[in-house]
Parts: sequence; structure tokens; C-alpha cells
Amino acid sequence: MSVSEFFQHFMNGLTLGGIYALIALGYTMVYGILKFINFAHGDILMVGAYVGLFTYNALRGDASLGAWTVISFFIAMAVAMVACGGLGVVIERVAYRPLRHAARLAPLLSAIGVSFMLSNSAAWAFGTQSRKFDYPFDNTPINIKGVIITPHQIMILAVAAVMMVALALFVDKTRMGKAMRATSIDQDTAMLMGINVDRVISLTFAVGSALAATGGILIALDFKAYPSMGMMTGLKAFVAAVVGGIGNIQGAMLGGIILGLLETFGVAVLGIPTGMKDTIAFGVLILILLIKPEGILGHAEKEKV
Amino acid sequence: MKKHMLVLALIATMALTVSPLFANGASESGAQGPKIGFIGPMTGDYANYGTLCNNAVKLAVEEYNAKGGIAGKLPVTLISEDSEGTVEKGLSAIEKLSSSDKINALIGPVFTGVSFAVGQRVQSEGIPMITPSATHKDITNIGNYVFRTVVSDGLQGEVAGKYFYEVLGYRNIAILYAKNDYSQGLFEGVKENFEAEGGKVISEETFQVGDKDFKTQLTKIKAAKPEAIYIPDYTAEMAQILEQASELDLTIPFLSCDGFSNPQIYDLAGNFTKGVVYVGPAKAEENAEHEAFVKNYTAKFGTGPDSFATNSYDAAYIYFAAMERAYKKTGKFDRAAIRDEVAATKDFMGVNGKMNFESNGDLVAYQGIYQVTGNTADSVVYKGAYTVTDGKLVAVK
Repeated sequence: MSVSEFFQHFMNGLTLGGIYALIALGYTMVYGILKFINFAHGDILMVGAYVGLFTYNALRGDASLGAWTVISFFIAMAVAMVACGGLGVVIERVAYRPLRHAARLAPLLSAIGVSFMLSNSAAWAFGTQSRKFDYPFDNTPINIKGVIITPHQIMILAVAAVMMVALALFVDKTRMGKAMRATSIDQDTAMLMGINVDRVISLTFAVGSALAATGGILIALDFKAYPSMGMMTGLKAFVAAVVGGIGNIQGAMLGGIILGLLETFGVAVLGIPTGMKDTIAFGVLILILLIKPEGILGHAEKEKV
Repeated sequence: MKKHMLVLALIATMALTVSPLFANGASESGAQGPKIGFIGPMTGDYANYGTLCNNAVKLAVEEYNAKGGIAGKLPVTLISEDSEGTVEKGLSAIEKLSSSDKINALIGPVFTGVSFAVGQRVQSEGIPMITPSATHKDITNIGNYVFRTVVSDGLQGEVAGKYFYEVLGYRNIAILYAKNDYSQGLFEGVKENFEAEGGKVISEETFQVGDKDFKTQLTKIKAAKPEAIYIPDYTAEMAQILEQASELDLTIPFLSCDGFSNPQIYDLAGNFTKGVVYVGPAKAEENAEHEAFVKNYTAKFGTGPDSFATNSYDAAYIYFAAMERAYKKTGKFDRAAIRDEVAATKDFMGVNGKMNFESNGDLVAYQGIYQVTGNTADSVVYKGAYTVTDGKLVAVK
């Protein structure tokens, strides 16, 4: 393998990982606070992609690539983030909150139900064929010493990094973030301290779902929008969140990147058949669960007496 | 008490709604027209293929019934079932069509994998089947009830492999194909024939149907430095492959198969289709029927037919003629009699031109070469028809 081929695989894996990381952030946030896996996260991502696609196409009209298409793209992204944020809050209010004190399995099943409802509704409303999401900018690849990088790949990495830093700052430095951390440690005590736990949880879902919308749009640019788009990507992002240490924001990022690189290099270097690509993701999950169940950056939780 | 009343009322309604159906079935079965079933993907990522074909059959049935139907008095009924392109859905479709709808003949399935499974069923049930698009060379080996109005890809692979070597002059190519019957069949055919000529397939990469990311495979192919890449796949994947190849600055020519003749490719990947050469069924000689078909089809459905839809239309008319003959001889639409009449089809003038079946149910036909020169279906240039005789590529005049 030549040097440029190596770095090409590296770039491919890195951007794939960037996408996983972006979605893993949403999983990790909700888990960190509620100790609950929101399996509908992948489908919220899909809704975000469609909202973004329709808004973008409506705003863009027949305009050719230029400043206006980029502006409409970012407006579309904002609209999708707000729409998905709202959707996340509604889903939490309707399908999860009533079950908060039920057996652990109940909200999980409810989440799987929501996931199917969203993807089936999308199939019914938008049809099941793939829809093209045109690049809002010139996506001509850039050649750096034989390694080809597209502006879209750079954008994925940039957006993922910005989102991670913004989220970390939000959780660590703001009052609301402090409330989130408090809720995550002990809901009842947080409530006694005057924190509105319901509001904190709603906000968590709003932020997580808005992140999913961003991820959905970035994926749709590359892989097109279709009703089941959130299924596999969502599952892999979940694996990434667990590998990095679920509940840990930097861990989600790291887990995503590791998974993306593993999938790419597993096929390219280790010669694992392409059809087995997805096996790598879940194989890694099992390994991590066996060796370090709390994930790479996770802290082992001691049961308090 | 109330509950009992409700149950009674329910039973009464059910009896009322169901009984007329039974009555109809019993009294008119002697004088009913034949039923043709259709199976193809009409929802999902491959809906484009099935919908175009189903529309063609619909058009044929409507035209034929407008003239009175079989013997001028028995209209043909079309019952279409969605397979989504999957074997499981296809099998439940044929189950419904054969036992509850009691079809006399089947058009489809559209996909090769589904056709293998459904073909076994129709063979054991004794239902004649004509697929407009399943190209795998072994499809007609299932048995004597299976026919097709599409060219076997045994010939497609032979012509493609030899054409790439002899006419296009490639010596080293890469092949990126899906792990399914259709793609793999073409891959094997092209590899065998291309290498028999002295060429070499220097990179073979695979993927699963439904994959969206092909960058790993394309990066490996790029490193192998082939002169061209052959992608015998479906539009959803080919569109993704073409776009990602351009994102990797992979600018060598792309070669493809009859799957490329579906116009959806230009919606999904219009910016990247220029220059693609694909091998598919030879173009019919421009005839008045073909023109009329394309015109009526486009007027009715908004888009033009692809080659599979054209084949579906011919399949429908081959059935009409066979049913007409069977009815004249026996006075009914016996499945076995219809099969015999389909097999006896001779010099049938369809929109594809003159059509005959070989003894195994394959179509006697040629392969055509097409080149895309822009980003629309109209930009496709026809480069001529070819066949292989005694192991040699021969241009058909």
C-alpha cells in the first residue's frame, strides 16, 4: 500500500467516523442524564434530513451554486435543528416521561416503538426511494499530494468538532449545564436543590435531537435521504458511544472516529471481506464490553451504599 | 346481551359482503377472461424498475381490452403485486396470485434473485411465467414454464467482455459488483470472457445491496490503476459509486450493464454519467409499433419506458396471442395450454422487433452497445448490436 493510498483510507475513515461521532453525541447526552438509550435517535436524524432537504430545495429554487445556496443551506439546517429539537421534546413528553418510574425495559420498548412509527410514517409520507440532497457548494475534490479530500468531508469534520466543543462548554460552564450534571448524578437531590428536572430533561432531548438533525443533513448530502437511513447509522453511532464510554462527550467523539477508522482499515488493510464491514463494528462492541465495559474514556461507576 | 347482538350483526355483515363474491366465482367461471399476474418492486429503492414494467403491462392490458379482449369478448384482468425486490415478498406474492387469485399466467418477477425463487414455485404449480428483466443465464434452466423477453446475460457477459477488450482496447479493468445473483452473474461472465481474450481483471471488489459508502473499495481500485471500471449493478448503487468516484478524483471510464438503461440514474447522478458505456439488449429496429408504444406510454405515465418496460409490454402481447390460440382450441384458459402456446410463439412482431424463443425459453436476441454523452437519457448514443458466434465477437447488421 502506497503512502497516498494509506492516507486516502485514513481520510475516508476519519469522515465516516466524524459522522458516527456527531450522532453518538446525542446518544451519550441522553444516556448520561437518564441512563436510558433513546433508540428513536436514528429516526429523528432521518426526519432532520427530510426537513432540511425540503427547506433547502424550497429556499434554493433554481438558484445556481453561490452565496445564496450556502445561506439557504444553513437556514435549512437551523430549521431542521429547531424542528427536530421540538420533535425530541414531544417524544420525551409523550412516550418516555410517563414511563420514567416504570421498569427499565418499558421506556426502551417505547423508544423502539417510536423508532418504527417515525420510519414508517416517513415511508408513507415521502415514499421509500432515495432522494438526492444537492451540495450547496462546489464539491470539487482537492488533491493534496495524491490524497483526495472533498469540501464536504472537511465540513463534516469541522461541524463534528465544533459541536463537540460547544456541547462540552455548555455542559461544563453554563448554569443549565450544571443543572444537567446535577440531574445526571441524582435526580431526587437535584429536585430538592430547586432544579426543575423535567425542564432539564426536555432540554437534553431538544439539544440531542438538534444534533441528530445536523448529522442527518450531513449524511444525506453523501448517502441521500431515505426512510431507513437512521437505522444502521444510528446503531453504529450507539456502538461508538458505548466504545468511547457512554455518557462521556469526548468519549463519543473518540469512539466514533475509532469505529470509522476500524471499518475502513479492517477492509483495506486486514483484508476482511467488504460484506463483513458491519461485523467489525459490532465485534468491537463485544470486545469492549468484555475488556472495559465502561468504555475507553468512561469511569467505572461504583454502586453507592 | 348487547355483546351477542354485536357479534350477530358482525357475522351478518360479513356474510353479506362475502357471499356475492362466492356467487360470482361459481356462476361465471366458465365465461371469465384470463388473469395475468405481475410481480415486481413497486416501492423502495428499486421501485423505479418495477413501476415502469407494471405500467407497460397495464398499458398493454388496457389497449387489448379496449378492443374487446380475448376472442373479442373476454377482457384480460391484471393483478399486480409488490415484491420490493426481495425474495420473501416475492414468494408471498406468488402464493397469493396462484392460490387466491388463480392467475393463468405471470409476468415478472423483475429481479433475478426473486425470479429464481418464484420460478421454482411456478414450475411446480404449472403456471407459465415470462420475466421481462431477469437476465441470469440459469433462469430458464428452472424448467419449461419459465420464459423471458430479456436477453440472457450469458450473452451479455460474453459480448461485454469481448467488446471491452477488442473494440474499446482495454487490457486491465476493475470490477465492482454487488453480492447478488444479477451482479455476480454479470461479473463472472465478463471476467471469463475478458480474460479469455487476454485481458486481466486486476481488481475485484464487492459490496452488499443497500450499501451507500463505496469509498474503501474505490480507493483500493484507484490504487490498482485499472484502465476502466465495470459496475454491473442497480441504479441506486451505481449513482452512489459514480458520485463517490468523482469525489475521489477517480476519472477513468466507467462501463456498465442493462441496469444502466433505467432513466432514474440521470436524476440521482446526472452530473457523473457522461462517458459511461453500457451493454444492454440490442435496440429494436426503429419500427412504427415501437414509436407508438413510447408515445402512448409517455403520454399516459409522464416518463418514457426503459428496456425492461418494453420487454414487459411484449410479454403481455405474447400472452394475449397465446391465450387467444389456446382459447380457440380448447375454449378455456388452461395454464398448461397457455404454456404450450407461448413456447410455440413464432416470429412474433413485438415493439422489440421480431421475437422467437429458443427451446429452453430464452429469447433469440442480440446485445447492443450504448454510450452516454451527457447527463440525460436523450444523450445516449447507440453504437450497434453484437453477438458471439463460435467464440468470436460479431457485429450484427
